[in-house]
Amino acid sequence: MSDRSTSFDPVPDPELGPALREALAMPHDGAFVTRLRALVRQRRERTWDEVLAGWFWRGVMATTAAAAALATGYTLLGNGATTGGTEESVAVQLLDGERPAADVILASWTSGQ
Amino acid sequence: MTGVDDAELAARAAGGDPEAFGELVARHAPMARRVAYAVLEDQEDADDAAQEGFLSAWQAIGRYDARRAFRPWLMQIVVNAARDLRRRRRVRTAEPRDHVAAASRDDPAKEAGALDLGDRLREALATLPERQRLAVVLFDAEGYPQAEIARMLGIPEGTVKSDVFHGRRALRKALGSVKEEWDE
Repeated sequence: MSDRSTSFDPVPDPELGPALREALAMPHDGAFVTRLRALVRQRRERTWDEVLAGWFWRGVMATTAAAAALATGYTLLGNGATTGGTEESVAVQLLDGERPAADVILASWTSGQ
Repeated sequence: MTGVDDAELAARAAGGDPEAFGELVARHAPMARRVAYAVLEDQEDADDAAQEGFLSAWQAIGRYDARRAFRPWLMQIVVNAARDLRRRRRVRTAEPRDHVAAASRDDPAKEAGALDLGDRLREALATLPERQRLAVVLFDAEGYPQAEIARMLGIPEGTVKSDVFHGRRALRKALGSVKEEWDE
């Protein structure tokens, strides 16, 4: 170990490096690796399960969303038709003795009513 | 799989081969555990962090850029896992000595002097701020270049250089004191 206390040595310390590795080394590397390998295999199997489950639930959700959209569309169309039927025409407004609004007159004129 | 390099194993792992990833685990586990220990100063926590790091890497292997070296990519994940665990377990008391006890149980024939040196180095490491500790371990013990360490820790290269410089000074002092005792 030379005197390197005043300047930075840009290469790893050949004495300190191995001493540090030794100091930080932990026992039972083999057991750690075996346990982790098993977890990796397990994680993969679970991942496939998760993928399939994900597809299943995505399918269920898409079907539900499509059904909901259809139902909503149907309801809106139905409501729209009903609403159209209840709209007062120029004739009804005139019969009621009211003065029809300008947009109602314009709409009836353009539609040939 | 001894003749296969890391990039090839990572490519196979990305294709869904758990055995290829297992080989990467076997190759890099000792380093990952050492680095995690340098952050957490506790054997059990270090193993938890290293395990979490490997499993995160396994999940993210599809995003690994094969043009870059595998080892720093993995080590960055392990360092992040260890730092994250440290944040979560900050309240828990670290017990760095459990390591020494375990080592002596595993190898009773090991020289008392060697254990003493490890003990002193760990004590000296514990006095350093986390970033300095990591910088000196990654540079001197694990041989990573400064630029790679800067990327891993998200700090400028100049800071790595300064951290290694100051970290070394404390550790060399510990190393020197043990040597002096041996010489007496």
